[in-house]
Amino acid sequence: MTASGYDVAIVGAGVVGCAVAREFSRYHLKAILIEANSDLCEESSKGNTATLATGNDTPAGSLERRLVVRGHQRYLAEGPGLGLPIRLVGALTVAFTEDEAAIVAEEVRAARAEGFGDVELVGAQHIYARVPALAAGAVAASWAPTEGIVDGFSTAFAFALDAVENGVDYRASSPVTAARRREGSWILSTPTGEVQARLVVNCGGLRADSVEAAAGYRDFVVKPRRGQYIVYDKSAQRLVGTILRPTPTPTTRGIYIAPSIFGNVLLGPTAEEIEDRNDRRVTPAGLAELQAFGRRMLPALLAEPVVALYAGMRPATDRPEYRIIPRFAEDWLTVAGIRSTGLTGSLGIAEHVLDLVVPEVFKAARKHALNPVSVPSLDAGAPRPWQDAARVAADPAYGEIVCHCERVSRGEIRDVLASPIPARSIKALRRRTRVMMGRCQGFFCGARVEALLRDRDA
Amino acid sequence: MKEAAVIVIGSGPAGLAAADALSRRGIAPIVVIERDDGPGGLPRYCGHLGFGWEYTRRLDSGRQFARRLLARLDPARVTLFTRTSALSIVRMPSLRVEVVGPEIGLTGIGAKAIILATGAREQSRAARLLPGQRPASGVFTTGMLQQYETRGLAVPGQRAVILGTEHVSFSVLLTARRLGLGVVAMVEPGSRIASFPAAGLAAQWLARVPIFTDSTVEDIEGFDSVEAVVLRTPSGVRRIACDGLIVTGGFVPDAQLATEAGLAMDERSGGPVIDQDMHTDHPGVFAAGNLLRPIESSGIAALEGARAGAAVAAYLAGGRPDAVGPGRAIALDDAFRYLVPQHWSWGAPPLVDAPALRPSLRVRADERQARVVLRVDGRALWTSSPRALLRERRVRVNLSALSSVEPVDVRVELERV
Repeated sequence: MTASGYDVAIVGAGVVGCAVAREFSRYHLKAILIEANSDLCEESSKGNTATLATGNDTPAGSLERRLVVRGHQRYLAEGPGLGLPIRLVGALTVAFTEDEAAIVAEEVRAARAEGFGDVELVGAQHIYARVPALAAGAVAASWAPTEGIVDGFSTAFAFALDAVENGVDYRASSPVTAARRREGSWILSTPTGEVQARLVVNCGGLRADSVEAAAGYRDFVVKPRRGQYIVYDKSAQRLVGTILRPTPTPTTRGIYIAPSIFGNVLLGPTAEEIEDRNDRRVTPAGLAELQAFGRRMLPALLAEPVVALYAGMRPATDRPEYRIIPRFAEDWLTVAGIRSTGLTGSLGIAEHVLDLVVPEVFKAARKHALNPVSVPSLDAGAPRPWQDAARVAADPAYGEIVCHCERVSRGEIRDVLASPIPARSIKALRRRTRVMMGRCQGFFCGARVEALLRDRDA
Repeated sequence: MKEAAVIVIGSGPAGLAAADALSRRGIAPIVVIERDDGPGGLPRYCGHLGFGWEYTRRLDSGRQFARRLLARLDPARVTLFTRTSALSIVRMPSLRVEVVGPEIGLTGIGAKAIILATGAREQSRAARLLPGQRPASGVFTTGMLQQYETRGLAVPGQRAVILGTEHVSFSVLLTARRLGLGVVAMVEPGSRIASFPAAGLAAQWLARVPIFTDSTVEDIEGFDSVEAVVLRTPSGVRRIACDGLIVTGGFVPDAQLATEAGLAMDERSGGPVIDQDMHTDHPGVFAAGNLLRPIESSGIAALEGARAGAAVAAYLAGGRPDAVGPGRAIALDDAFRYLVPQHWSWGAPPLVDAPALRPSLRVRADERQARVVLRVDGRALWTSSPRALLRERRVRVNLSALSSVEPVDVRVELERV
C-alpha cells in the first residue's frame, strides 16, 4: 500500500488504537493503523493488571464511567467470538478496620445507587470462605462478582488482526515525527514513509502529547505513573482465585492481588510519578513496597516462587479524566489520558469515537459482510493444539513442545511467525504464545526460540 | 497406548546411566523420554572439561560425556524419543506416562516402573528479584548462553557482567569469551567465592576479571539492550558499563512433573523424597540426578542413575520393601540445608553390583569447624572427623551403617567444635 490517500490514520496500536482501528474497519473507509514501536502493545497496554473492570469505582457521571461500562458490556459480548478468554473471578475490596469498613460500605451504597446492582457488602464469613488464606482481621468487604480477568495483549492483537483482516492497513516501527496539512489532508512523517489521511485519530497513549506536538497541539502533557508488579508461579493460584484490593484511600486505589488468565498471581501495581517515560524500572523500593503489602494481605503469597517482575506505565495526563478532544475543523481527534481503564474501556471508547466521526466527518456506510477473526486462547485452562491427538497426528509440529514451562509447541510458534501481524522479535513471540514466560524464563528454550525466530521457518 | 518395562524421563547423565544399568540387567523394553531436540541433558551444551569424572574416571567435556553415555546404550533394549514431553504420571489402575511428541503423537505409555531424571535449572533473574529495566536482549542465564553457543547463535555485545561465583559461573566465563563477550566483572552477594578459591584466582589474575564480593545488583540500565549494571558494594554504589548480564547458578530442581504427580516432596531439597534405593513414596516411581536437589556433579548424577537402574531391576525381581513409608524418615538438624536420601527403608538388602549410595548433605552456612554425627536411637553410629564445612560442598555422611540396624529414631546432627 502506498502512503497516499487514507480516509483515516489511527496513531498508536495500544489496546485503544487497535479497538478504534477495528471499529473503523466496520465502515466503508480506508484506514491505516500506525505504531511507533516494532510491535503493537509495547507500552501502557502491556504491563498492567489485565482486569476487566465493571467501572463501579470510576467517577460517577464521567465519560470514563460511561465508556468503561459500555466497554465491559461489549467485551463480554464480543470477546468470546474473537477467541479471547474471560474469567469473571470477582473482586473483593477488603476492610481491616471499622474506619475502612465505613468507606467500603459507602462505596457499595454508591455503586448500587449508580446501577451496579450486583455489588454487595459482605462480612468476614463470606470473605474467608472465598479466600481462606487472606490475612486475619478482615471485617468487611465489597464483593463485585462481575469483575474479571482477561489477556491484555491478545485483546489488542485480536482487535488489530480483526481490523487488518477487514481492510485496515497496519504499519509498525513508524513513530510520527511531524504532521502537516496539505490540500485538506494530514501528512504524517514517519521513518517508514509519509502517510496521508483526511482524519487523524491520535491514540498515542504514553506518547500522545508528542504526537499532538507534531501537529502543533499542546493542550496537555502526559504524566506517566509507573506501576511495578511481581508475578508469582502458578502454584500461587491455590491461595487466591479472586481479585483482592485494599480499601481505597483518597489518593490511590492501591495495590491488587489478582489471579492472571495465564494461571499466575499478580501483586501490584505501585503508583509512582515518573519523569522519564522510558523508565520502566523495577526498583528495590518498589519490590519492598509490594512485598510489604502482600505480607499484610495474603502472607502465604510471599513464599511462592516468583516467575517475573515488570513495570508498566499508566498514560495519565495533568488532569484525571479521559481526554477525548474532537477538532473536526482540522480533522484531528485526540483520544488520550486513558489511564487505567483502557483495556476494559477500549470497545466503549472505539464506539464513542465512531459516534463522533460518523456522520460528522464521514458519511460512511457500514459493511454488510465481515471476515471473522479469532486468536488462540492463552487461558491457562484453554485446550492447546498439543492436547488434540488428531491435530498432532495431522501436523506433528503441534506435538513438539518447545517451551516446557508454558507448554508451547513448535507448531504454535510457526503459526505466529506466519500471521498477518507476525512476531518479529522474542518479546513479540512471548506475548503471542507465552513462550519463555514461565518459571524458567527461557533457561531451557530461550536459545531454541531464538533460532526458530531467526530462521523464520519453524 | 504403548507398553514398556521401564520409562526413564530425562536423558541427562542420570537418565542415560539409568537406562544403561537397566539394559545391562536384561530389562527391556526401556523407553527414554527427552523433551529437548537431542539427548544429553545440560552437559550436552557444555564444551568445557570436567564432566562425568566420578562415573567414567575420564576427563571429558560435557558433550563428550553425553556422547559416551549415549554410545553405551543397547539400541535393542532402549528406545529414545527426543522432542517428546512427559506430560503427566498416572498411577491408577497401573503406572503410565502421558507423553506428546512429533513421532509418538499424544499417547500414554504403560510401565512397571518409572525413573524420573528431569534435572535442575538455574533460577531466573526474576526469581532472584533483581531490579532494573527489562531490556529486550542482553540478560542471560548460563544455560541459555551455553545453548546459544552450541546452537551457533551469535550473541550481540562485547562486555558482560557475571552474577554469581559458583563453578558454573567460571565455566560461563569461558563460554562468554568464546562468544566474543569479554567479562568485565563478577558479582557475589556472599562474602567469599562460592567455587574453588583457585577459580577465583585464575579469573582475577589470568583473565583480569575483578570480583566484587558482598555485592548485589541494584539496577540494570538499558531499554532495548543492557547498557550498564549498577552494583551496591561495600565501598559504595558502582556503575559498570556493559552490554550483557549473565545470571549464573542458583540451581533448583526442575520438579514440576514430580510435584504434579503428587510425590512426597522435600521442601529443603526441592526434590522428591527418596530412600536409599532412589525409590519415591509411590511404588515403582524412582528418582535420580539433580532433580533430587541443587546440585551435584554430572558424574554423581550418573552414579545415582545407575543406582536407580539397579534398584528398579531389584524391585521388578520382587522382594524389596515397597517404597518410602512412615517412620523411616531421617531427622535432620537445622544447621543442614538438606539431606538426600531423606528416608531409609529397613530390611532392604544392599543392592548388588550397584554404585554405592552417595548421600547429598549440605550445611546452611559455612561452618568453621564441625563434625557430622549419625545418631541412631541416641547412640552415635558414625561420626566424621571435625573440619571446615562450606555451604556449597558435599558434606560426607556414611549412611550405609544403617543397613545393619533397625532403629526407631535416626538423625543426622552437626556438632560444632
